Amino acid sequence: MGLLGVYFRRTVGILRTEVLVLPSRVAVLVFIVALMALPIFTQDYYFLRVLILTSIFAIFAASWDLLSGFTGQMNFGHALFFGVAAYVTALLNLKLGLPPYFSIPLGAVGGVLTGLIVGIPCLRLKGSYLALTTLAFPIILTGIVFAIPSITGGELGLAGLSRLTGSRVMDYYLTSGLMLILGFTMWKITDSKTGIILHAIREDELAVRTAGVNTTRYKLLAFCMSGFFAGVAGGLYAHFMRLAGPSGLEVGLSFQVIIWAVFGGMVTIYGPIAGVFILYPLMEILRIVLDQFPSLPEIRMFIFAALVLLTLLFMPEGLIPWVRDKIETECPRCKVRNVFSRQRCRICDAALD
Amino acid sequence: MQFLGRVGTLLLGLSLVLAMCLPVGAVEPIKIGVLGPMSFTQGEGHWNGASMAADEINGAGGVKVAGVMRPIKLIKVDTNEFLSIPDATNAVEMAVSRYNVDFLVGGFRTEAVQVMQDIAMDAKKIFIGCGAAHPELCTRVTKDYDRYKYWFRLTPINSSYLGKVDFILLGTAAAIMKKTLGIKKIKVAVVAEKAAWADPIVNISQKLLPAKMGMEVVGVWRPSPVAKDCTAELAAIQRSGAHIVFTTFSSSVGLTFAKQMGELKVPAVAVGINVESQKSGFWEATGGKGNYVETINTYARVAITPKTIPFYDKYVKLFKQAPNYTAGTYDALYILKEAVEKAGSVNSDKVLPFLEKTDYIDTAGRVVFDKSHDVTWGPGYVTAIGTQWQDGEIKCVWPYHWEKVFYEGTVPFKLPPWVVGYWKNKK
Repeated sequence: MGLLGVYFRRTVGILRTEVLVLPSRVAVLVFIVALMALPIFTQDYYFLRVLILTSIFAIFAASWDLLSGFTGQMNFGHALFFGVAAYVTALLNLKLGLPPYFSIPLGAVGGVLTGLIVGIPCLRLKGSYLALTTLAFPIILTGIVFAIPSITGGELGLAGLSRLTGSRVMDYYLTSGLMLILGFTMWKITDSKTGIILHAIREDELAVRTAGVNTTRYKLLAFCMSGFFAGVAGGLYAHFMRLAGPSGLEVGLSFQVIIWAVFGGMVTIYGPIAGVFILYPLMEILRIVLDQFPSLPEIRMFIFAALVLLTLLFMPEGLIPWVRDKIETECPRCKVRNVFSRQRCRICDAALD
Repeated sequence: MQFLGRVGTLLLGLSLVLAMCLPVGAVEPIKIGVLGPMSFTQGEGHWNGASMAADEINGAGGVKVAGVMRPIKLIKVDTNEFLSIPDATNAVEMAVSRYNVDFLVGGFRTEAVQVMQDIAMDAKKIFIGCGAAHPELCTRVTKDYDRYKYWFRLTPINSSYLGKVDFILLGTAAAIMKKTLGIKKIKVAVVAEKAAWADPIVNISQKLLPAKMGMEVVGVWRPSPVAKDCTAELAAIQRSGAHIVFTTFSSSVGLTFAKQMGELKVPAVAVGINVESQKSGFWEATGGKGNYVETINTYARVAITPKTIPFYDKYVKLFKQAPNYTAGTYDALYILKEAVEKAGSVNSDKVLPFLEKTDYIDTAGRVVFDKSHDVTWGPGYVTAIGTQWQDGEIKCVWPYHWEKVFYEGTVPFKLPPWVVGYWKNKK
C-alpha cells in the first residue's frame, strides 16, 4: 500500500507540474483517455473500423516523419515499407501459419531490411533526386508482384489472413494501444541524442560530418527505423484487412501519407498522428453528410483537397504547430514552453513576450 | 379497484389502436446496398441498373414478403475502390452495420471485392457480385462453403469463360476470312495492353493459336494502357502481314488503337476485347474510324432473351447511354425479389436455398448458379455476346448459330471493305 501511495503521489505530481501546465499536453492526455474509453460508450463496428484504420495509418504517417521530417531524407515511396511488410506478414501467416504476434514483428523486420536495401543506394542522393528514386521503388516492386503471382497472388493479392484478434474491440485496443506506444517511442527517439543527430543531418549534413559523426550510419539507421515502424503498420493492416495486395504499394498511398504528415505538421511526430486522426475520420464524416444529399455529385475528394490546400495556405507549418503556437509561448531565455496567458516563465521567471 | 379497472380498459384500448395502426404505417422497406465506384462509369452502371429495377418493382407494388408488399430502398454506397481499398471497406461496413442493409449488390475491383466479401460474410448478408470477373471470388465458396455461401456472381461471366469467348470470336473471324478471301493460314498479331490481367491471354495465344487453332502468331505488341499513339505498332503489324489483330484492351489505348487502325486502313480485322468499343460514345470518339471493331460484350440491342431489348431501350432512354455489364444490378434485384418472395423472408439463411435454386431468364440469358455460386456459362445459359461496330451502330454478331445458339437481331460479322480489297488484290 505504501509503495502504491508513493507511485500515486508521484503520478499526481507529474500530472500537476508537467502535464496540466501546458494546453498541448492536456490535449494529448484528453486524447489518450478518450481513445481508451471510447469502446465503453460505443462498439459500433463501422466506427471502430474507421478508428482502427486511423491508428494504423497514424503509425505509418509518424514513421514517414521520422525519416523525411526529422532526417530530411525525402521519401516519396514510403508505401514500399508498408507494402513489403504487409506481404511478408501475409506470407508468414498463410504459408507458415504464424499467428499475428509473430508475423507482424517479422513483417516489420522485412520493413527494416527494405529500409537497408533502399537506404544504401540512396545515400548519395539528396532533395528531388532522392525523392524521385524512392518513388521508383514501390513501382518496381509492384511489377515484381505481378510477375510472380504464384507467390504474391498477383492482382488479387494474398487474402484470407487470420484475424488480428478475436473481436473488433480487441482489434481497436491493440491498434490504438500500439499507436500510442510506437508514437511515444518515435517521439522519444527524436528527443534523444540520436534524434538530435538526425535533426542536425537534415539542417547541415556537412557540419555534422566535420564534427566527426558518421552520417552514413545515421541515415541508414533512419531508413531502418522508419522501415520498422511503417512495417508494423503494414503488418497490422494486412491482418486487419485480411489482405496484402498491390494496393498497399500504390503511389497514391505514398502521397497520402505525405499529405497527412504535412497537414498535421512535419518534424513533430505528433503532428502527422494528429493529421491522420483529423483527415481520415473527416473523409468518413463527409461520406455520412453527403449521403444525406444523394442528388449531389461525388465531391468528397474535392472538399478534402480544398480543405488541405486552404489549411496549408494559412498554416504552412501544418495545423498542429500553428495551434500550438497560438496557445503556448516559448520562453526566450530557457526555451521552455508556457501557456499563452502567462506573463512570466513558469521555470526561470523571465518575462514572456 | 375501480381505478385499476379504468386504467386496464384504457391500456387495452390503446393497444387495439396501436395494433390497428402498425400494419399500415410500419411496412419496412427492403434495404439493398449498391456498391460501386460511383464517380466512375462502372459505379454509374451499378447504380443506374439497380435504381431502374427498384423503380419498376416499387411501381408494381414492391416485394411480397410473407403476404406483405414491401418496397425496395436502395442505399448508394460509393466504394471509391479504384483509389482506396480501405475506403471501400469502410463504405461496406457502414452499409452493413449502420444502414443495416438486407442485401448487397455490385463491386468491381477484385482486390477490393475480396475484402468486401469478408465484411458481408461476417455479417451474413447475401452479396451478389456484378462487376469483378476473377474466378477466385467464387472458388472461395467451394473452399469454405459455410463462410462464403452468401456470395453469388451474376455478371460478368468469370474471366476463364471470357477467355473462351475471346478465342471463339477469333476462331469465327478467322473462319470467315478463310472462306471469303481464300486464305490458307491466318496470321495473327497479338496486341494487348501492358497490364497484368492481359498477360495470361498473351501467353495462351502464343501457345494455343499455332498448336490448336492452326494460325500463325506474327508478333506480340504491348502498348501502354494509356498510349496516345500506336502508329509504330500498327506500322509493324502491317509489315508483318497479319490478317487479324487479336486485341486485349480495357483502357483508353483501345480507343487510340482502333481510331489509328481505321485511319491507316491497316488490312486486318480487330477482334477480341476492347472495352472502349463497348461504349456508346466510341463511334464519335473515333470519328467513325473504329468501324468494324469487334469485342466481347454483355448487352446490345438484340433479343438474347425477351427482356433484353425492353431493358436496353429503357436504359438508353433514361440514361442516354448503352448499359455496360455492371448494370447487371438490374437483374440482381429481380433475382433477389424472386428468392425473397419464395422464402417469405429477407433473412439471408432463409433466402439462400432459393437463391441457389435460381433458374431465371434475365436480360443477359438464363441464370443458373453453379456449385461455386458463379453464373453458368454456355449454350442455353448466359453466353455473353460479340458485338461489332457497323456503320455507326453496335451490332451483335456472335453467337451466330454457334452451338445452335442464335439471338434474334444478330447479324453476320462483316469484314472491312479495305481488308477484303487488299487481300483479294494480293492474290
